[in-house]
Amino acid sequence: MADSETLICCENLTKVYHQGQSEIRALDDVSFTIHAGEFVAIVGASGSGKSTLMNMLGGLDQPSSGEVYVDGVALSTLNSRQLAQFRNETVGFVFQQFQLLPKKTALQNVKLPLHYRRPRPDGETKMAEASLARVGLGDRTGHRPTELSGGQQQRVAIARALVGAPRLLLADEPTGALDSVTSADVMRLLQELNGQGLTILLITHDRDVAAYAGRVITFLDGKILSDKMNTTETQRARQR
Amino acid sequence: MAFPGWTTLKLATVSLIEHPLRTLLTSLGIIIGVAAVYSMLAIGEGSRREILERMNGIDARSMSVYPDWSRRGRASKRRPWRPFSERDLEDIRLIPGVFAATGSLSKEVPVVNEKSDWSAQMQGIDLDYMRANDLVLVAGEPITASDIERREPVVVIGQTVVRTLFRGQDPVGTRIKLNNIPFTVKGVLGEINSEGFSNRDRDNIMLVPRTTARNRIIGGNYLVRDHISGLEIVAENQDDMTRIEREVGDILRLSRGLKPGEAPDYRIFNFSANRQAAAKSKRTLSLLLAAMGAVSLLVGGVGVMNIMLVSVTERTREIGLRMALGARQSDILWQFLTEALLLSIFGGLAGLGLGYAMSRFSLSMDDITMVFSLDIAMFAFGSALVIGVVFGFLPARRAAGLNPIEALRHE
Repeated sequence: MADSETLICCENLTKVYHQGQSEIRALDDVSFTIHAGEFVAIVGASGSGKSTLMNMLGGLDQPSSGEVYVDGVALSTLNSRQLAQFRNETVGFVFQQFQLLPKKTALQNVKLPLHYRRPRPDGETKMAEASLARVGLGDRTGHRPTELSGGQQQRVAIARALVGAPRLLLADEPTGALDSVTSADVMRLLQELNGQGLTILLITHDRDVAAYAGRVITFLDGKILSDKMNTTETQRARQR
Repeated sequence: MAFPGWTTLKLATVSLIEHPLRTLLTSLGIIIGVAAVYSMLAIGEGSRREILERMNGIDARSMSVYPDWSRRGRASKRRPWRPFSERDLEDIRLIPGVFAATGSLSKEVPVVNEKSDWSAQMQGIDLDYMRANDLVLVAGEPITASDIERREPVVVIGQTVVRTLFRGQDPVGTRIKLNNIPFTVKGVLGEINSEGFSNRDRDNIMLVPRTTARNRIIGGNYLVRDHISGLEIVAENQDDMTRIEREVGDILRLSRGLKPGEAPDYRIFNFSANRQAAAKSKRTLSLLLAAMGAVSLLVGGVGVMNIMLVSVTERTREIGLRMALGARQSDILWQFLTEALLLSIFGGLAGLGLGYAMSRFSLSMDDITMVFSLDIAMFAFGSALVIGVVFGFLPARRAAGLNPIEALRHE
């Protein structure tokens, strides 16, 4: 891993919220590095700062101090237009609540990020179909979210995150709304995608879910408590 | 912030189609507003043209003067009915801005030829009479200055006289008797437009030189030499009517020997004054109606803004998601602005349809003239678009300014 390319580099990240008189440090001087091809789980109780971290890595939020480098680019130097382009081209988001548009079909939902790509790519429908096939939903393209199970909905959301060929997949509690069997399905899909070379950053409060990742960073009160590699044994155990 | 094109348009269209009832209700204000503005302007334009038509006509530029015999007071103190004179007429012709000034000296007289007899209005005329009354000849010659000077027994007859006395024969050059005096028919008048002159046949007329009429048929007046019973004055320009009326008054007061402050013993009927007042009230009415239309458009715009704000709130999560997926702020702004624009385009078109239907309906009513004009339609439609942009902007900007993180968490 040491010789592979650095994808994310966080330097002294601090985020301070002001709530009335009190000051809340959601992130307190956090620094770490993630290499291309890694599958990293960020674990912590709610309020530990992990969601704040993800929003910053995704270009949705700015740190109070410190800097995030993604693919060598300092995010604080980007204007709002460049940040939109960054979110569109470099990052793919997967959310806990799926965030699918209920009136659109699976295919239309997956095509959504391509609407905002400039220049508009050719063959959007083909790209979206390929992406749905990649998550095993090639036969569900015409279904609306309400006609799909929770696991299938999350797969559509993953297909949507993948359709623009991002360098980084940011998954915020992707199994939070799923039962344990479906959760395992989705996590195995993420492992599979990681096996194909995709860098994944997973946010979870669930250590069982985190066990699917190759590396687990644990947060407590805005600070990194531990940063450990999962043994291949535990990972393999999960794959069964 | 260039318009991002078809995708946005498609997106907005789909969003409107997905909520047909909401779309219809939202546009309702615009529909009614545009329909109101359109039909009010059409009515206004209609009456404006109607008035203009009348104003440019000769009737609108003319005034009549008659001696006044209806004054109150003791009989011994009343002045006699005193006609005007040719001298008055000549003075009036010299007033700047007078297009024509003519007098009337008329009498209903029996008229006969070999075949039949009849009775018609004989009018003693001068050279200005024909043009002051917008009369044209269809056959023969007009009465000339020398006819007037020599008191020739010549006559120009109207269509009713032609019909009753000649029955298809050519009257020009034949002889007829007016009041038992032989006259030669010199010309024939065309059909006279008698609109607005109820129950009077204006074609039952015979024009003779006034000198002839006075000397041979009517006879002189014991008070006034070369008397004329009424005056008719046509101005070149309607704007001069008031001034000409005043100057006519000055001339008549002098010639009739009225002392300053004494009530005039004549009356001037200035038709244009009435018409101007009518035109003014119609203009006021159409302005009022247009203002009402503008208010309903405004209310329609507020309706659009209201629904768009609700729509933005309703779709906060969608907006957050779109931003997370790479939508720029301008993409979101345009998405909602386009939606508001489409709403007002739809409302504008439907409103024009409704306005057109209303104006067709108004054709069956008297008193209202509506004009179908592309200009008016475009103006009404354009104001709907402006309303859409103006009132769509606030909600669109609110949508574009949302924080994606909070928007995604919105329930």
